[in-house]
Amino acid sequence: MVLKQKSILPGFGLALGFTLFYLSFIVLIPLSTLFLRTATLSWGQFWEIITAPRALASYRLSLGASLIAALLNVVFGLLVAWVLVRYSFPGKRIVDGLVDLPFALPTAVGGIALTTIYSGKGWIGQYLEPLGIKVAYAPLGVVVALTFIGLPFVVRTVQPVLEDFHPEFEEAATTLGANRLQIFLRVIFPTLMPALLTGFAMAFARALGEYGSVVFISGNMPMRTEITPLLIMTKLEQFDYAGATALAVVMLAVSFLLLLAINLLQWWSRRRLAAL
Amino acid sequence: MSIEIRRVTKQFGDFAALKNIDLTVNTGELVALLGPSGSGKTTLLRIMAGLETPDSGEILFHGENATDRSVRDRHVGFVFQHYALFKHMTVFENVAFGLRVRPRSNRPSNEEIRAKVHSLLQLVQLDRMESNYPSQLSGGQRQRVALARALAVEPKMLLLDEPFGALDAKIRQELRLWLRRLHDELHITSVFVTHDQEEALEVADRIVVMNEGRIEQVGTPEEVYDHPVNPFVYHFLGNVNLFHSRVGEGRVKIGPLEIDAPEHAAAQDTPAVAYVRPHDIEIERHKNGQPAIAALIQHIQSVGPVVRLQLNRQDTGQMIEAELSKERYRELGLKAGEVVFIKPRHWTVYQGEGI
Repeated sequence: MVLKQKSILPGFGLALGFTLFYLSFIVLIPLSTLFLRTATLSWGQFWEIITAPRALASYRLSLGASLIAALLNVVFGLLVAWVLVRYSFPGKRIVDGLVDLPFALPTAVGGIALTTIYSGKGWIGQYLEPLGIKVAYAPLGVVVALTFIGLPFVVRTVQPVLEDFHPEFEEAATTLGANRLQIFLRVIFPTLMPALLTGFAMAFARALGEYGSVVFISGNMPMRTEITPLLIMTKLEQFDYAGATALAVVMLAVSFLLLLAINLLQWWSRRRLAAL
Repeated sequence: MSIEIRRVTKQFGDFAALKNIDLTVNTGELVALLGPSGSGKTTLLRIMAGLETPDSGEILFHGENATDRSVRDRHVGFVFQHYALFKHMTVFENVAFGLRVRPRSNRPSNEEIRAKVHSLLQLVQLDRMESNYPSQLSGGQRQRVALARALAVEPKMLLLDEPFGALDAKIRQELRLWLRRLHDELHITSVFVTHDQEEALEVADRIVVMNEGRIEQVGTPEEVYDHPVNPFVYHFLGNVNLFHSRVGEGRVKIGPLEIDAPEHAAAQDTPAVAYVRPHDIEIERHKNGQPAIAALIQHIQSVGPVVRLQLNRQDTGQMIEAELSKERYRELGLKAGEVVFIKPRHWTVYQGEGI
């Protein structure tokens, strides 16, 4: 069997070998120990751990809040990208730089800052609380924290696509009689779709894995504001390694399936947009 | 529908794109806006479409002021140089776009849209490509789809911005003849922008030669080619040889030659340039007793029906281009490195140093 195909680019064997080695070393081997650890459990024990009411509640919060946060980021990230590409205004560079802050900031710092502002006595929290809206130490706080850390992903994936989007397409649509809304829905949005999906997938994946900022703002109440990563942490602190890895396996499987589904969706939408 | 442009100016920052333009395009005409890049031809076309607004001046459609009319209300078909097809739509959906975005009250039914799109795709000979995406088409096919898309909304006029600019030579040739035939069939008022003088001469009913935001000359292809009003137009509409000299009392002296320039009878020893097209250069092997300029044949390009010669004037060293028919070339039996005698058959003299 010949795996190696003749190619004019040299170094295929070496490059592929290194890539596989590197991925194994950094990603696959560490993750596989999860499964090895989990294997010390019987199916019954495994099932019991991963379907415990506290675990189920944490999945709901983790997945639900991540999904809402990613969707919010799609909407407002698109808006931010749009403003940054389409308009020029004083301080545009600074705004552009601000977008990356959630990338660079230690997430714990973000979490503390958000908690300070949204708690009952905080700048914003003091006005929300009388209205019956509780952000800090509530599920809503988790959504806020996850939205914060996911913002740059959508902006940074959509921005270059919008920049490449030639005004000719809009002009063509206008001469054909389309109004602004029709142009956005029928011409611009479909073009941005693959980038939006990518941004969504990245923001979602990032939110699922987030830990640092959420632990500060959520209050970590079991069954109410406890995310799965925190539950895993709790089990580790109680030296329940097998239990922690069992939950980790569930997270891993869910993340993998979701990202796979999004990738398929992306592949499908991108295939239709092969470059002109 | 006729288009009238009245005293239109347009400024981009410090750059004056259009300076006081007046132009009328008659109903059913096919007009070419011809000029080098930066001459303002595309700006003028975009102003007609409403994609740019003039700083001053008026645009009249069919005698009615349309200066402030929105792009959507102008009912123009616009074809872009790089097609601007919607990449995520099939050929069919691209052509149907203009019909589908109509307000519900006058939107055709699905069957009507299908029938209309099919007939248009037949017109541009792409009826078998309807379910392909633009990325699967060649450049020429894409431009035909763009044309069908523009025609789908039944525009009152068709504006084309360098429609064949991005295509290879052979396809260009085919498409421009095809455009001419299509225009003869549909009789829709059309304006196209080009920097290719051959394209303009071959396709257009009338040519508008533009330079630096101004119109230099408007006329039929014969008028602008045979009677250019100034050196710029002469230059722009084909190859030309320049003979620098002085004009006085209606005569121009070029080396040993003296030619007539009756239109400059009043001039007294003024610098002037005689413009001669390559095919208006006569070539003889011998002087035959008459004055002629001696020139050395440097290069012969004899492919095709026309033979092109690169000549070097023996007295000044200036390069001269000449064209002659294949028969004449065989008759003379010319070879590179030989010295021949040339004189102009037709010429135009302009005062000044020339450009």
